[in-house]
Amino acid sequence: MPAPIADQLRAVCGPEGVLDEPVQLLTYECDALPHLRQMPAVVTLPRSAAEVQAIVRLCAREGVPFVARGHGSGLSGGALPVPGGVVISLARLNRVLEVDIPNRQVTVEPGVTNLEITRQVAPFGYYYAPDPSSQQVCSIGGNVAENSGGAHCLKYGFTVHHVLQVEAVMPDGELVTVGSPMADGPGPDLLALLVGSEGTLAVVTKVVVRILRRPETVQTLLAAFDSPRAGGEAVSQIIAAGIVPAAVEMMDALAIKAAEAAVHPNFPPADTVLIVELDGPASEVTELFEVVDAICRRTGASTVEVARDEAHRMRIWRGRKAAFAAMGRVSPNYYVQDGVVPRTKLPEVLARIRALSERSGLGIGNVFHAGDGNLHPLICYDESVPGQAELAEKVAGEILGYCVEAGGSITGEHGVGADKKHYMPRMFSDDDLDAMQRLRDAVDPRRLCNPGKVLPTPRLCGEVPGPYRQHPIEKAGLGERF
Amino acid sequence: MAASAALRPGVEADAVDGVVPGAVAEPGTPEQLAAVLAEASSAGRTTVVRGGGTKLGWGRVPARVDLLLSTARLAPVVVHRDGDLTATVSAGVSLADLNRQLAAKGQWLPVDSAFAGATIGGMLATNDAGPLRHRHGTARDLLIGVRLALTDGRLVKAGGTVVKNVAGYDLGRFVTGSFGTLAVIVEATFKLLPVPHASSTLVTAYASAEVLAANAAAIAASQIEPLACDVHVPAAGRPSLLVRFASSPAATRAQAATARTMLVGETEELSGDAERVRWTGQVQAAWAGQAAVVRLSWMPARLAEVLRLVEDLRGRTSGALTLTARAIVGTGLLSVGGTPREQAAVVEHLRARTDLVGHVALLRGGRELKAAVDVWGQAPSAQAALEALKRTFDPAGILNAARGPV
Repeated sequence: MPAPIADQLRAVCGPEGVLDEPVQLLTYECDALPHLRQMPAVVTLPRSAAEVQAIVRLCAREGVPFVARGHGSGLSGGALPVPGGVVISLARLNRVLEVDIPNRQVTVEPGVTNLEITRQVAPFGYYYAPDPSSQQVCSIGGNVAENSGGAHCLKYGFTVHHVLQVEAVMPDGELVTVGSPMADGPGPDLLALLVGSEGTLAVVTKVVVRILRRPETVQTLLAAFDSPRAGGEAVSQIIAAGIVPAAVEMMDALAIKAAEAAVHPNFPPADTVLIVELDGPASEVTELFEVVDAICRRTGASTVEVARDEAHRMRIWRGRKAAFAAMGRVSPNYYVQDGVVPRTKLPEVLARIRALSERSGLGIGNVFHAGDGNLHPLICYDESVPGQAELAEKVAGEILGYCVEAGGSITGEHGVGADKKHYMPRMFSDDDLDAMQRLRDAVDPRRLCNPGKVLPTPRLCGEVPGPYRQHPIEKAGLGERF
Repeated sequence: MAASAALRPGVEADAVDGVVPGAVAEPGTPEQLAAVLAEASSAGRTTVVRGGGTKLGWGRVPARVDLLLSTARLAPVVVHRDGDLTATVSAGVSLADLNRQLAAKGQWLPVDSAFAGATIGGMLATNDAGPLRHRHGTARDLLIGVRLALTDGRLVKAGGTVVKNVAGYDLGRFVTGSFGTLAVIVEATFKLLPVPHASSTLVTAYASAEVLAANAAAIAASQIEPLACDVHVPAAGRPSLLVRFASSPAATRAQAATARTMLVGETEELSGDAERVRWTGQVQAAWAGQAAVVRLSWMPARLAEVLRLVEDLRGRTSGALTLTARAIVGTGLLSVGGTPREQAAVVEHLRARTDLVGHVALLRGGRELKAAVDVWGQAPSAQAALEALKRTFDPAGILNAARGPV
């Protein structure tokens, strides 16, 4: 990387807006998937859309690849820098621009955190629905890139259902507005294409989201079962009864044990626990909650614990949300996987995972969104034992194979990024992937915008595959994996 | 070329906005359809895709149509995975047929169509929606996977059959609203919903647009959760608000009772057949007769001003004006009677009110009206990217050439 580009970038962002000392760059060499690391040449910290545009224009002119980065909480290496490339950190574009309660919309810059939107509108009785478990730290720009979900997406959908408009800098440097704060604009849905494109089609500089009225009532129960099959049967009957819960979460024995050790949620000692949450108008929730309670008992729940109040509810959720980080209590290291299966295939795939655990000798905890079939197997290993880290990675890959064979997906919410692009051919044919590559080339013909992500390419030299390691932020308990 | 289905000459009944296509292809398989499409692309034949043909007139008047490519003969496959709340359906299946099949297991795809034969493919291509979009959004929001025939003859898929999936680009949502300009949708997979056990609708007539709008705003700000909240402004007489609840019987009753306390006007409660008839009427109202139909949107909080604007517009045409709209979402259909010149004046006036309304698109209109005003109105932002994508997917520029929004 010749010095002049850093100087040119300084002319755009000012001297304090450009980092190119190796020690400064360290923070940016990975996101929350720290086994993939790459030093960028330069990190920029723009303060406005105009600066982002000037940076992208400069990169386009000089043929330098660039990678947009939010708060670095991504779990697929989507913000992994490119050798010799520029990182565009959007952390300083962090203003809430407009809170419009009458129209139920909020306009923010991409560096605003997910939870900050809810904080802004909570006094008016509203909230922003997508709730990834990293919501305290993750940026809305990153949510747009990854089409983030959360525990409540069974009922409320994903980021793509809640973003109305974005302002973005296209790879050629054009600043565009995509989507509309008004409904039903004609033409292809370019906004839906940008949401979830993992930063490969544009750099988002402004986001308009819709907000929802807080539900009148929320009720949560925790039911204990003696097998995932029994818990799965309860979920099937809830769905068959025509009930769409706000959340349905399941944890197995190893995950329960870890959660107990870490945050003491006082879960019953069971093979499987099921958390079911209903929300909505009081009349509806009260009536349907009784049905859910009865189904759990009928399908063999040994105990059914109903949250008495908000504190009790939060304790149940704390046990669930802490499950990932808690794995550190029962295993020196763990690898978190993100795969999806059709909900009805859960028992079958869980049985295969159990067999794989026995065969490989590695403990595998399961924490998952049972309503939508999104699995998060936690593969336990000890990196001080030679070969175990590699084995864990192999086991994680095998689980993705089970998901695809069951008709599912290699990622439900963490994204493909740099981490899973080599698994894409398991889900998609060459023709499918070629269509996606041509789409990408139409928007970014010079392949400068977050190259090397999403679609399989020969590995870049800086990309060294390796086992999962805990991120410092996670280790410090500041972030969690969901 | 041998793989392709036989072509037949177009006849009057195949006409697209009065233009008879040179040939019609009705392939029986996605593979055949893709082969026909590839041939048309190589030969530079302008191609219009047809599902049920119920919205075929939407778009600019074509200069010529070389090929009408129909999905009608594709095998009507419906794979309903009721335990997973998903269904995969071939594009030529009608929404009504799909919902009849899903109903056997107490589920549905909650999207409205005003047209009896509307197909899944056409519904996605136009992203057409009705009152149910209040709670469930448009078909775009329920789509989880798609299979497309591309102009190079390939069949590709995006998304999948699971409700949660972020692998790869979302080509499915991208082609919703594309009006057959990028690819041919041959199959789609949707997330489904359980059919509510009970339903009830409050219809309130108002003397004042302001009170109607204030009541709609109160419903929006409350914690009751209607399935639909529509406004109906008839050609003559008082406007009304239609609020529909659908849940368990007790919850439906309780919410309707709460809503009644917020509605200041003459309210009647409908259920059963009377309710069904009323909503069918609401969905179809804009399309009755032969008036021009304009779709428009606005910021939700400005409903009262939009209702006043509609009243003002009555002075610009000798024909009838009706509005059927989503009161809380802020979008609806304006049916505009009168002479083509008067209709054009109404469209132009709406487009001039950029301070209040947007996305003013002429969905149905006679040739004279379409000659006077552009069907789509303002070009979208990010036009360079959209054009690049159009060139990539349709390099010969044959798909709905010059008719669609891109």
